[in-house]
Amino acid sequence: MNERRPYRRPMPGNWWAKPPYRAYTARELSGVAVAAYGGVLFAGLLSLSRGPESWAGFVDFLKSPASLLLHVLLLAAVIFHVITWFQTLPKTMPKMIVNGEAVPPKKITRIATIFAGAMSLALVFFVLGAAQ
Amino acid sequence: MTFSTREIQKRSISPIFWLLFGAGGMLSALFGPALILITGILAPTGTGLPENFLSYDAALAFARNPLGKLVLLALIALFFWHGAERVFLTLKDMKAGSSLVLKLGTYGVAALVSVATILLLLAIGF
Repeated sequence: MNERRPYRRPMPGNWWAKPPYRAYTARELSGVAVAAYGGVLFAGLLSLSRGPESWAGFVDFLKSPASLLLHVLLLAAVIFHVITWFQTLPKTMPKMIVNGEAVPPKKITRIATIFAGAMSLALVFFVLGAAQ
Repeated sequence: MTFSTREIQKRSISPIFWLLFGAGGMLSALFGPALILITGILAPTGTGLPENFLSYDAALAFARNPLGKLVLLALIALFFWHGAERVFLTLKDMKAGSSLVLKLGTYGVAALVSVATILLLLAIGF
C-alpha cells in the first residue's frame, strides 16, 4: 500500500505534431536543413579530392533542376532558422543591461536579426565583387 | 568552491555538444542564407558570377589555402554538430529510440563527418 503511484498525465504519442509543440518541432527540425547543406559541402569536398572528373560530376549535380529546387528549399528553411534562432537568443544569453535598464527581448531579437541579414548580404556582395 | 573527485567524475560532457550546437547555429544564422544562395543558386546558374567560379582549379585552390581549409572545416563540422544536437533532442523527446541508438545516429554521424573532413582536407594537400 506504500507503493508510490504518482499521477501521470496521459500524453498522445504525436504531441510534437500538435500546437503549441508543433512550432518547437518545426524550429528544431530546421537543424536538419543546416546539416543537409553541410552535407552538400561535404559531398563537394569529397568529389574535389577524387579529381577533376569527379568534381565535374558534382558541378553537374549543382546545375540540375533537382539541386536548384533543393537549394531553394534549404534557403527557405535556413531563413526560418535565422528568424527562430534570434527569437530564442534573448532567452539563452545573459540579461543585457544598458544604462541600468534591461534591454527588452524583442529589441535584442530585432537588432540581431537585422545584423545577421546584413552579414549575409555583405557576404553575397563581397563574393560577387571579388569574383569579377 | 571545491569539488570532490566523485563530483568531477559526474560532470557531463553535454556542454561540449551544446557549445558545438551553438557555434553551428550562430555561424549558419549569420552566413547560411548567403552561402546557400551563392553555392547552390547563383554559381550553378551563372548569375552574377564568372564561368570559372565553379572550376576545378578554383575549388582546388580554395581547398588548398589554409584559411579556405579552416572555413570548410568550420562550416561542414559545425553545421553537422548543430543538426545533430537538434535532431537528438527532438527524437529523445519523441521517445523515438534508446539514448545510445539516437546518440550514434546523430552525434556519431557528426563525429564521423568531422573526422572525414579533416582527413580529406589533409589529403588534398597545401
